[in-house]
Amino acid sequence: MNEQQCLIKETPKDHQDNSEEEWSEDESSSNSEYSDSDSSVPEWESSLDTSGQVLYIDCHPFVKQSQATENDKPTNAFVKSQIRQSTRSKFLKLLRRRDSKRRSKRSRSLESSQDSNSFGKVTFQDHENGEIKEVYLVINRENSSKYGRRTTLSELLLGISLSSFPNSNRVMIAGFTTVNEQKNEKNIKIGDWLRSIDDIEVNINNINITLEQLSNKNEVKLQLQRVVGIEVTKEPPVNELKNQSNFVYQFLNYDDEEQSRIMEMISAAAVGILFLDLENLTEEGSEFEGVIYCYPRPYEKNILCQTKGIFITLSHLLCEITKSKPTLSSLTYKDILTHVIYNNYNGKLLLIMIPDHCVGANEVKLVTAELIRMLEFMYQTIEKCFGSREFTMQVDHFFARFFTKILSHGDWSSTEIKELNINLQHPYQMCFEEVLPAASFVPLPNETQMQIDDALTELEASDYRDWNEEPLDCQRLFTILGSALYHSGYLLASHLIHGDLIDVHSFCRQQGLFHLSKTEPLRSLVLWREVFPFSCNRSIENPDSSYKIPDGRRYLLIIGSGKDLLAVIMEAGGCTEPAEDKMGPDAFYVEEVQATLSHIQELGIPDLVERWLATNPGQQVTVPEAPNGKKKSDFLSFTKSTPQNQSRDSNTTSSRRTEVTSILKRRSSDQGILSHANSMFSLPDEELHSEDSNSQGGYSERSEVSDEPVLGRRAIRERKNYMGSDEEESDIEDYREGSQLSNGSYDLSDIRQSLLNEMEEVQPLCLTAGKENVLYHYVHFDSTEGILLLPPECRANSLTLNTILQNFRNCSHNIHKLFQNTLRFKNMSAQDMAKSLMNKSLIAIKEHGVLFECEYKDDCVRAKPLKITYWVIGRLFYMPYPREMYVCYQDTIPQNLIDIAFKLGITLSG
Amino acid sequence: MSAHLLCLTSGSGLPIFTRSKGNTETLPFSVIGSLNAVHMYSKSHKMALFSTSTEDYCFVWNEFQESIVLIGIAAGCTKEVLQKVLQSCFNAMVLVVGFDEICSQRNIERLKRELRIALNTYSECVDSMFSCVLIHGRIAAATENWWNLSSDELKLLTLLASAESISANKDIPVFLPQKSPNAAFRFVAITLISDVQVCCLCGPTPSLEEIEFFSAQCFKSIMENLGSAVHCYPRNFPTTMQMDTGILGLLLVNTKSGKYMISRSPQQLFGKRTTSGSHRLDILRSFYYQAVLNYLVIQGDKVVLDTADTQISDTVPKQESEKNTCSYSGKEAYWCSEYHKCHAVRINENILCVLYNSSIPTHAVRLVTQKTLKMLISDKQVCW
Repeated sequence: MNEQQCLIKETPKDHQDNSEEEWSEDESSSNSEYSDSDSSVPEWESSLDTSGQVLYIDCHPFVKQSQATENDKPTNAFVKSQIRQSTRSKFLKLLRRRDSKRRSKRSRSLESSQDSNSFGKVTFQDHENGEIKEVYLVINRENSSKYGRRTTLSELLLGISLSSFPNSNRVMIAGFTTVNEQKNEKNIKIGDWLRSIDDIEVNINNINITLEQLSNKNEVKLQLQRVVGIEVTKEPPVNELKNQSNFVYQFLNYDDEEQSRIMEMISAAAVGILFLDLENLTEEGSEFEGVIYCYPRPYEKNILCQTKGIFITLSHLLCEITKSKPTLSSLTYKDILTHVIYNNYNGKLLLIMIPDHCVGANEVKLVTAELIRMLEFMYQTIEKCFGSREFTMQVDHFFARFFTKILSHGDWSSTEIKELNINLQHPYQMCFEEVLPAASFVPLPNETQMQIDDALTELEASDYRDWNEEPLDCQRLFTILGSALYHSGYLLASHLIHGDLIDVHSFCRQQGLFHLSKTEPLRSLVLWREVFPFSCNRSIENPDSSYKIPDGRRYLLIIGSGKDLLAVIMEAGGCTEPAEDKMGPDAFYVEEVQATLSHIQELGIPDLVERWLATNPGQQVTVPEAPNGKKKSDFLSFTKSTPQNQSRDSNTTSSRRTEVTSILKRRSSDQGILSHANSMFSLPDEELHSEDSNSQGGYSERSEVSDEPVLGRRAIRERKNYMGSDEEESDIEDYREGSQLSNGSYDLSDIRQSLLNEMEEVQPLCLTAGKENVLYHYVHFDSTEGILLLPPECRANSLTLNTILQNFRNCSHNIHKLFQNTLRFKNMSAQDMAKSLMNKSLIAIKEHGVLFECEYKDDCVRAKPLKITYWVIGRLFYMPYPREMYVCYQDTIPQNLIDIAFKLGITLSG
Repeated sequence: MSAHLLCLTSGSGLPIFTRSKGNTETLPFSVIGSLNAVHMYSKSHKMALFSTSTEDYCFVWNEFQESIVLIGIAAGCTKEVLQKVLQSCFNAMVLVVGFDEICSQRNIERLKRELRIALNTYSECVDSMFSCVLIHGRIAAATENWWNLSSDELKLLTLLASAESISANKDIPVFLPQKSPNAAFRFVAITLISDVQVCCLCGPTPSLEEIEFFSAQCFKSIMENLGSAVHCYPRNFPTTMQMDTGILGLLLVNTKSGKYMISRSPQQLFGKRTTSGSHRLDILRSFYYQAVLNYLVIQGDKVVLDTADTQISDTVPKQESEKNTCSYSGKEAYWCSEYHKCHAVRINENILCVLYNSSIPTHAVRLVTQKTLKMLISDKQVCW
């Protein structure tokens, strides 16, 4: 027992101390206003700042506990003094700052199920000889009305979410729903084995029945056994205070001392941003006249600021000579090649300087364009962004992170800049795909896509009529304009208007939210701020347009959990309640979004996507092989692998079952490429079906109604219709009566089944012509929709492929640049065409290809290196709207690019 | 296309010359002064301004030997090419007045006067329409040495020969920018028949008369050949060679020696001079700059078209290409436009760019280009 380790969750109380919200100025006052015991206070409430913005990040670095505190004294663990204020006027009033108790009975709190879902997935090695404890819990009946549709029975009654141990049917404590009470007691720990309830031995199969029997009792006795030895996948930090990663810390904290340190560090490098007012400049003016904003500061140390005369002169002069504004200057500063980007805004000039070794000339325009797009999305206009004093600190904080990242070659968590000479020797090449203004999209099977769409649509519809006994005669607070679901930075579904998707994507990418969801053990993210989406013309009246933008304000709400992000744009005003200044998020909507995300997670969609991402190198692409080497001809053949599939199923059953409980545990790498390719979307069997019998009574009947498998929310809705006579049965009730586990299995097993069925139809189509698959990479860039199609990131350790891909990206940049001529000409008016100075040879290019030869580097045995020849081809389609496709394939037989684009469109649309 | 070239002294900012090409007005002095001032000011902040681009225009600054600042302004041109032009321009100045002269700047006025020739040279240079028929080389055995001159020098000498057309023959002292920037040679160009010149570099002897006499003697026997060669223009290669009918124009470049041959009417369409001819050449040039230069030509060995010579067949020197040991990565490049297709193939140091009709299928294009390139470089009739 001395070596006992335990994973504990960081409590929100701990958290508030070291994760003060990003932009708050009066943090301390916020804590005292509400009582600690009130669990109805949303966890993110403390991160709400005066301007109504929220940035709440809760991560779970695992801390080492030297000696678990033993406390055998049974206590009333559950405080039942929670009185949820049911304000009928929920929708009539707007949420005031820290008006945290304003919660409706209707707003069934779902944050808790969210918690357990993401947190319970920790692996534990269970041993028989752990310490046994008895804990008495008071059953809280008030809760039964407040929890949401997907709350399990145990969460409802005990405030504990349960899971199973890997490879057994023993019940594990996976998390707490009412954080304060359970946590403070420290009697029940996550990972404990729940042996019995009121002396009835429980396992995963009978837990729900047992709980149902207990539901009329007031107090239950839990027997728990502490298990020893916890498999921690992440190296536990020694110091509990430093349990936030550097990246998260920098993201959340604005620390003056640190900021000035970073600023000083940045001023030594050839970077900077400067916003200048060019009007009313006088000869006699002070040295820094006209400077509206600059970073880093002070002015004297900012190289752009010192040399602003050069750029102002150039800006005027070049305009005079050529009648066009300068866009880019290249210069050397301290013998380092540097680029300066110009942007003009009504007589004001924005200059951004970035060294070539960080961002090359090809990328720099795209990078700055995205930066500016994000700033406009956040602050409406560049002038407001830099001109308004209230944003200065926020903008400073952003640029500190932005430039540090740039100077450390894309490393988000860095706070130091690498040695300059190291940088110069290894110039950083930004990935072509990563600088395009588009989100890379994961193609999912139809059924899965429908599930996601269904969930998002339900959220967007905000149809809450059925939730109330009395009819709602008031207006809604928000109209949901659209939502987008991401996993690990990959877009799974978007219901946003195209321009808004690009806005949201730029925002998430530049703010590091994708990095956060990819790399951090994220438990919960809540972000809320006012935004000015592209579709609403940045909320600026456009007198030319016949379409009048509704008079209102738009807000961005991003909820994150695990690797998933759900971004929602909401509108206040218009047909809903008018917006207020500095409005914070409404707890009800936050919960709704959280609930939607956790529903999607329960459907097993993140696992499915992980599976797609793990296909290595992906279905449509291949890894270069030695030219005369033996080809893996049946590498991707699905047809002949039926027996393999079967063996695979039994094979992955065990590994799959561990995953149910442990999302932290990495997929064992011994599953080879072949097996991945074969079972890409298939979810292997799980032994969780046994739950179905008691909780999903109506379920078996459903199959009689339709032959098609109908799942998830849709299934529930339809089932409700089917069982229309039992008017008490709302879908909420359905969820409430079933435990979370059963819900999980209900959805997962069905999806698994339907996906398996679908897999038989969805054969991976070889994109290239010919018997062999010769495609190494593809990028399909749809600039209008803001969507990128890419194969999953290749982790194949092939030096050859890496060389080829690097060349491909380089080359694609140039081709992309060339295509801009064609696009520009297409958009030109006839009048401009005549006047234009464009090179007339470049105006109609639609396809550009280069054949390369490289040595095969993965086979060092041979004395004479083999050579591989491959094409890099870009193709521009401009009907009905511009799309660009870039492919890289081995030079064997001629390929038709239109053909490839067509197949790509078909196979990847699911 | 419009272009400007400005030359100033770097210390005092005195303008030495300015030249404009295309339908633009000359820049006012204040603008020139400001453009130089920006460059000067940047130096005081440990900066060196290199280039600035607007949507269509490109501005390039370059300072040579800490004494001369050249500023180039051009539309529809990449900054790499424009930088190369500046470099050539500087070399042209060296060619005419010598290296020391430029560095010391004893007498600006004299410099200005002497540079006048170079300016004309430049005008031709920036106007990349250059494709005059010129037979160059040295009498008899010395031709190998001629090719050993750097490509820049070759280009400039060629330009020089065709620049001043007042007198039939010329005898100009030149400084070779790479070979002998400080000591002058005599550059002698003799017009044999119209459009055909023979050039040589020599020391103080022999006299111009002697050279004229010798050259007339030497070339008398092959005068007919020369005459027929003149007729090749603008086809630029012998009529005996058959080209695929889809080919609208071609550009053959040798990256090693820096020579090129450009042809806009490979089909034997006598007497039919379409206006699209020069446009075809433009397309080929753009293709070379935008697509070929980046991928097929390795770094440091880039041939900007103006640096190469227009070469005509069945005449003088034959150069052995050295064994090519470089490992090029790019082998072929193509682009398809709505109106035409361009394709380039590299075999060792020879690159052939071909302009096709847009109706030819892309895979056929590859075969035709490869066949044509092999034919051009292996044909004994053609001296390449």
